[in-house]
Amino acid sequence: MKYLSLLIPLLFIAVLLYAAVKKVKLYDSFTAGIKGAIPLIVSIFPYLAAILMLSELFEQSGLSAILTGTLSPVFDFFGIPPELSKLVLIKPFSGSGATALLSEILSAYGADSYIGRCACVCYGSSETVFYISAVYFAGVKYKKLALPVCIALAANFLTVVFGCLICRVL
Amino acid sequence: MNGIFAVIFLCSAGLCLILDPNCFLPALLSGGQKAATLSLSLLAVYCVWLGFFQVLADCGLAGKLSGALHPLSKRLFRSTDKEATFLATSNLTANLLGLPGAPTPLGIKAVEKFCKAGNYYAADMLFVLNATSLQLLPTTVIALRIAAGSVSAYDILLPTLLATLLSTVLGALLVRLLCGRKKA
Repeated sequence: MKYLSLLIPLLFIAVLLYAAVKKVKLYDSFTAGIKGAIPLIVSIFPYLAAILMLSELFEQSGLSAILTGTLSPVFDFFGIPPELSKLVLIKPFSGSGATALLSEILSAYGADSYIGRCACVCYGSSETVFYISAVYFAGVKYKKLALPVCIALAANFLTVVFGCLICRVL
Repeated sequence: MNGIFAVIFLCSAGLCLILDPNCFLPALLSGGQKAATLSLSLLAVYCVWLGFFQVLADCGLAGKLSGALHPLSKRLFRSTDKEATFLATSNLTANLLGLPGAPTPLGIKAVEKFCKAGNYYAADMLFVLNATSLQLLPTTVIALRIAAGSVSAYDILLPTLLATLLSTVLGALLVRLLCGRKKA
């Protein structure tokens, strides 16, 4: 794992050296790139704010708790332990929420328990679908996202089912 | 997205009304605050990577890499726009390596370019590939496992990889089947 931390510095050194050899004006080029950061943030911000408000409301209103309760038997049917249903529900909305939840689960059940390992696999193999959809499509007018969002959610759910299954075998 | 937003928002708000009306505004405000702080930290990350990628583009390496990857990305995204497919493939590579923050600016630009060219299939494909999480090393999970006192923190690598691979392949196939037909 030590080598992994070398990856990013080496990548920068290699590219900047190559650019210097090619007589690229490094400072000008680097700053020109950074110029794009502000408009990028500005175009993302409204969507980011709306999604984060939505996820906060979803959590605080108790809707997520109710859904967790009602969906637990369904999840159980698919082989997902009921302890994980909240994590599965939160993950598409909020990365930081899911991270907090994962660390709670790990300290409650132990990192090496079946529940703990399942939670890790669920967390690691799914993504914050709504957040990504908001950010990636922020700059464009194309907003017919229902189908791709559903595909992503379905794929994520099946991963969790599959992940729980593997954890039981391995 | 408008429908999803409306349903979740109204259901949550309605529930707030019944259970605890006082939690409504604080929840929205804390979401807004999170957006504000997150934007600032994202801005920092974007500065680093956008600067880096500009150097990569200016020295000609980006063009060479995209040339090498073009046959693959042409099939995956059904696009002949070299710049857009390069952005998309670098987005996937950055995801795979787990470079923190790097995939997002690339992905946004790629989606923008695809959509401008009217290639919504490619935009959908890139989004689903991103949203099904392709990562070789889930660093956050491992850090949390170590923090929780795991004796074998790397135990979950293989199951995670298998599961995420399945979801990514499945997602890509579904996009191909469901979104591909419109413009086949």
